[in-house]
This record gives sequence, structure tokens and C-alpha cells, in this order.
Amino acid sequence: MSERLELLRLVRSRRPLLALAALLLFLVLMLVGFWSYAQARSGGAATFEYTYENKSYFNGLTFALYAFFFGFVLLLPLFAALEGGAQLAGDTGSGTLTLLLVRPVSKTRLFFGKLAVAFGWTTLLTALFVAAALLLGLFAVGWGDLRLYPGVLQSAPRPQFLPRDVALQRFALAWLAASLALLAPLSLSFWIATFTRSAVNAVGAAVALYLVAHVISEVHFFEALRPWLFTWHATAWRALFREEIAWRELAHHAAALLGQSALFLALAFRRFRRREEP
Amino acid sequence: MSAAVEVAAVTKRFGTRAALDDVSLSIAPGELFGLVGRNGSGKSTLLKLLAGLLAPSEGRVRLLGHEPFRAREAVMRDARFAFAPPALFETLTARETVRHLARLGGRAVAPREVDEALAAVGLVERADDRVRTYSFGMRQRLALAIALVPRPRLLVLDEPTEGLDPQAVLALRALLLALCRDHGVTIVLASHLLGEVESLVDRLALLQEGRLLFCGAIDELRAGSERLRIVVAPRDGGAGAASAASAAAAALRAAGIAATLRGDTLELPAGSCTLEQARALLQAARLELLEFHVERPPLEALLDRRVAQAKAASHGAANGATR
Repeated sequence: MSERLELLRLVRSRRPLLALAALLLFLVLMLVGFWSYAQARSGGAATFEYTYENKSYFNGLTFALYAFFFGFVLLLPLFAALEGGAQLAGDTGSGTLTLLLVRPVSKTRLFFGKLAVAFGWTTLLTALFVAAALLLGLFAVGWGDLRLYPGVLQSAPRPQFLPRDVALQRFALAWLAASLALLAPLSLSFWIATFTRSAVNAVGAAVALYLVAHVISEVHFFEALRPWLFTWHATAWRALFREEIAWRELAHHAAALLGQSALFLALAFRRFRRREEP
Repeated sequence: MSAAVEVAAVTKRFGTRAALDDVSLSIAPGELFGLVGRNGSGKSTLLKLLAGLLAPSEGRVRLLGHEPFRAREAVMRDARFAFAPPALFETLTARETVRHLARLGGRAVAPREVDEALAAVGLVERADDRVRTYSFGMRQRLALAIALVPRPRLLVLDEPTEGLDPQAVLALRALLLALCRDHGVTIVLASHLLGEVESLVDRLALLQEGRLLFCGAIDELRAGSERLRIVVAPRDGGAGAASAASAAAAALRAAGIAATLRGDTLELPAGSCTLEQARALLQAARLELLEFHVERPPLEALLDRRVAQAKAASHGAANGATR
């Protein structure tokens, strides 16, 4: 079946190794960044066990959440876009799409087979990233309960406290929610990949659009546009780290994300099904 | 019996440029058919139309009873295509490539079938090596092996001998003939190597600048192109060879055949008469045909002549239109 073939091709490609190496490097850089920041704040007295200004606040879980959030915003969408570009535009450019199209398999099956493998890989990559962030946090910083203050990781108006075990469960939920959120940049890259025969162009265009959307959704001036940008809804999983989860709010964001992903996918599929392969 | 391939008044435009212009041809089941033409003649476009990768702008294409662009999946159950240059999955082995592609469409494939296809193209020893380590010729052979599993009813090959060594070309030729004759597989062979096409196919189509210049049997293309060279002698053995040749030339000219005398040999222009007609005329002049030689021009020359004729005709039409 086409999914098995796509999976084998993905495993044999350099993309998984590249993505894992980049994410691990990112985690190490984050850790070094926190440590050097704490060194500066503590006059060189910081150790990896207490790498922040308040040792009761910062621990391995806090580190993992910071790393996960910034990795999710900066790196994971790039790898999601890379899959879209490689799966469709890459195959078109190299001529291997023709190899698939001259077999008795429908374009529908091919398209959704590629999507399933790309989404599956993105989900696994997210899981590996979260697990690596937690493990690195555990070994380098040490675990404790999760305390969050209003700021980049938590938009709640008052400080939040989650016991360690509850926080770990929330990480598992956040992984699922973040994976779902990555479907949007993945779908966008699939759509763009139907217009070009070059994987580089497809990935570049998808990442550029993602960055523009992300910047617009972060700038208050464009507040009215936010509900229409998947990037605004994509980081809503942070609300899972509140003491009381606002499920209704999360469901609203999830529906918006899924709706936009479905739109990108519908456009991509329509074009892929109808287009000629000159 | 309905045609395996039917192309009816097909035109394919890219923007305003017509890559194919009003092309019609039909290929019968079990036929070995050649598609020839220079670069840019429209061969690749026609192959892509057959594969359902392109939709005709006008006209209709049918393969095995289905329209490939609309019912590609149905066509591909029994049709296989190998395009040139072969695009393959670089990180897979030949065995994995053949097996996984054969499974697309839901059919179970026995390992024996995969091994047989790889053996048929001489790739068994390197079957478990990654494709990225393959030479161009090996890639060509792998593309053919892919097309053989499961065995198709229709096989369309684009430049299949390019990059192959002479031994592999002979093996490929034998394989294609066996598929066609023993298993009734319809084969369409697109190539610019006309000698290769000539040695294999029963009929061929010649494309030039998107137009079909010829479609038919090679004998049909050759008709009237064979030049006859003969050596004669008097029946009673009286005169010498030179005077016999002069007498023969006179007899033939009297019958309206512009024979040219070259020493003791007479050269008859292409299509002026058959060997039997020449023999009868000479007998009437009390001369005997001692030797004959039929000169067959290469297929390239015949096709070039067709192309030149078509160009002259289109020039003539253009001049007529401007007057």
C-alpha cells in the first residue's frame, strides 16, 4: 500500500535524522541559554540544579515547557512544512510521482497516504521532542512541581501551580494538542506543494507564510485578524497548563485549527486531483 | 477485437503551442508498435497522454477500453509505463522498489514474481543494493523490471535501450519479443534509435513537430524505396557483358524505366519496377539476369524523406496561401 511505501521512503531519507539532530541541538542551546542567564543574574554562582533567579520556580518541567513552547513556535512547523514539500513537490520534481501515478492507485489514496505518513511523523517528532526536553530537564535541572506565572508560557491572570504528576499528564495532553496544531502548517505546505515542482520552493513559501501569519497574530495592532490565523490558535495548548482547564476555550481553538487545516487540505487535494503532470 | 490503444484526433496544447496536432492512431492487442520522432516531435507528450498524466485538449485517448486521464486507476491495472530517464526511489533497493510498487493497487505479489522480473533484466545480483548506487543502464533495467510485475497486458516503454550495453540490448529485445509473442502483451516502444525500432516492431508511427507523418507497417514505409542493381548476360552467350548491359538498359528504357548504366551493372531507380518485372523485360530482350542486389535504404533515410516531404508540402501550402 502507498502508506507503507511512503513510510519506508521516509525512514530511509535523511529527514528524520536531520530533524532529530536539529531539535536536540535546540534543546541544548536552550539549556545553555538558561544557564548563562542564571550565571549573569547570580554573579556566576548558578549551577544546573538552580539555573534561574528563583530555585523554587525553575526546574526540569519549567525548562521542558519553555523548550517545548519555543520549539513548537520556531522549529516544529518548519519540519511539518518540510514534509509537505518533500512528499508532494519533491516527488513531482524528481519524477518519482510519475512512478506512483502509473500504478493502479488513486490520486486520493496517494494524497492521503502521503498526508498520513507526514502527519504521523510530525506527531512522533513532537512526542520525541517533548520526551527529550523532559529527560534533559530531569537530568540537567531536576524535577519538581510546575509553577507558572503570567507571561509567555501562561496567559492566566494569576500564578498557576501543578503538582509534578499532574504536570506530566498535562504534557501528554499538550503533545496531542500541539500535534493537532501542526496539521495546519503541514496542510498549508501540502497546498503550496501542489503549485511547484521544487521541494525547496514549497518549504520556503510555506515557512515564509507561517512566519508572516505568526508575526501578525502576535502584534496587537492586528488583533481583529487573529481569529482568522491558524498561528493564533496553534499555541492555545498552553491553556492545558492551567490549574483548571478551560475546555470550551480549547475546543474553540481546536475547531478553528481543524477548520483551517481542512480548508488547506481541500484546496491541496482539489488541485492535486485535477492537475496534469507535464 | 477492440484496439488496445486508440488515439482519435488528439490535439494537446500548452498555452498557444500545440505539442500534438490532430494525431490519430490505433494499436491492436498483441502488437509490437513503434513510436518514433526527433526531440520535440511530441513523443513524450503522446506517452503522457497515454499514461493519463495529461488530458487531451481535443480528441480522445483510450487504453484497454478506458480514458486514461479520467480512469487512470482502471487503465493502470493492466498497463505499465517506463518513462525515460527513469525516476526511481534512490534510497530503496531494487527488490524493495519492485515489490512495493507492485503492491500498489492492492494486489498481493509473490516474492517469486519479483525475483523473476529482476532475473529477466539481469539485476538479481544487485537486487539488494540501494538504487542510488546504480548506473544509468541498471536504472533502465530496473524501470523495466518494475513494469513487468504484475505482468501487464499493455507495456509502454520510452527509450528502453538507452544506456544499455549491447548484450543487455539483445536480452531486452528477446524479452520484448517473448512477451509479445508468447504472452500476447501489447508493446509500445518509443525511441529515436530507429534501427532498434525496426528490428522489433511490426508497425510504427512517425511524429514530427506534433504531427503524425506516417503510421503503418515498415514494409509500407519502404514500398518504392528499394533500389535494384542487376548484372545481365546474353542468353546465347554471344556478346560481352558490357554490350549485354547496354542492351538491357535500352530494353528497360523502352519500357519507361530510367535504368542507369554503371560499368557492367544496371541501376534501377527506387520504385521503378519489381525484380519480376525486370526479369520479364530482360527475357523478352533475350537477356538473362545473372545477379541482382536489392538496396534497402536505412529507416532513418526513409523517415527523413517523409519529414522533408511534409516540410515541402507545408511550405507549398504556405506559399499558396500568401499568393
